[in-house]
Amino acid sequence: MITLPNECYYQIFSNHWYYDHNYHRDLFSCSLVNRHWCKVIMPILWTVAGQHFNNIKLIRTLLLTLNAEEQTLLIPFKNILPNGPKPLFEYTSYITMFSDHDLNVGIKNWLHYKRYEIEYDDERCKIKNVNKCSWIAMLLRTGKNIKYLILDE
Amino acid sequence: MDNGTSNSASENETITLKSCDGIEFHIDARIANRYTLLNNWNGGESACIPNVNGKVLEKVLEWCEHHINDPQLNCGDDDSRRRNTIIEEWDENFLSCDQDMLFEIILAANYLEIKPLLDLGCKTVANMMKSKSPEEIRSAFNIDNDYTPEEEEQFRKENEWAEDY
Repeated sequence: MITLPNECYYQIFSNHWYYDHNYHRDLFSCSLVNRHWCKVIMPILWTVAGQHFNNIKLIRTLLLTLNAEEQTLLIPFKNILPNGPKPLFEYTSYITMFSDHDLNVGIKNWLHYKRYEIEYDDERCKIKNVNKCSWIAMLLRTGKNIKYLILDE
Repeated sequence: MDNGTSNSASENETITLKSCDGIEFHIDARIANRYTLLNNWNGGESACIPNVNGKVLEKVLEWCEHHINDPQLNCGDDDSRRRNTIIEEWDENFLSCDQDMLFEIILAANYLEIKPLLDLGCKTVANMMKSKSPEEIRSAFNIDNDYTPEEEEQFRKENEWAEDY
């Protein structure tokens, strides 16, 4: 296959599928074709990842992005951190927007997924806040392209 | 009424373009007027377009000639172009060539800054990949998988959220 310049690949992957139903799925398939395509596609795919913080698969990747200091806050809460190596890309650097509402939903879903039972309201509140602090610290540290940050609470 | 297609060259005026392999094309000057870079190479004798061979230039000029009366695009039309995934029948037939030629046309359109043709080529390639698995795309475009199995597995895990949308 004749190799195209990156700006052409960027146009192929970004311009024409945006309004398609399976946009993310198609981008994901293309990113698995080879390393070169993957490098072009990751910034496009993760631009919109902030809208999907409620997805536990995405949260897993976010939690693996926390550095040692950000993880420290979560260590007292057993089993919250996933096991896995440092992510291959600094994905969060491509995110352009996120809101604390989406973060709250994401944290709730993750705790539910990890079967983290919390009996008392104040404990529940504490663990959610600690998670939120770690995530926001990580997103502010790595989010070089954040243009919109919506903090309501 | 101005439909955005008017330009200074008249219908009978022609200019000469030469491909990098020395093939000359005498084209309607209105085509070159629409695309600045083509106009820059109007010069006949020694001026030739580097990087674009005769076979590809012929195809590019055929497309330009067919679309000579299309309205000129404004910068603000980018979003509506993105929304429009439909390819007209003539364009579809035009790009039903072998894959190497399709990629050569994209390269030439990018090089010559013929945005609507670049768009069309990219749209065609994008449509060829739609709803296909990585294996099917590799086989369709003859691409080698250069991921290590471990790397591919880790990458899949980190991005599998995208499969849900």
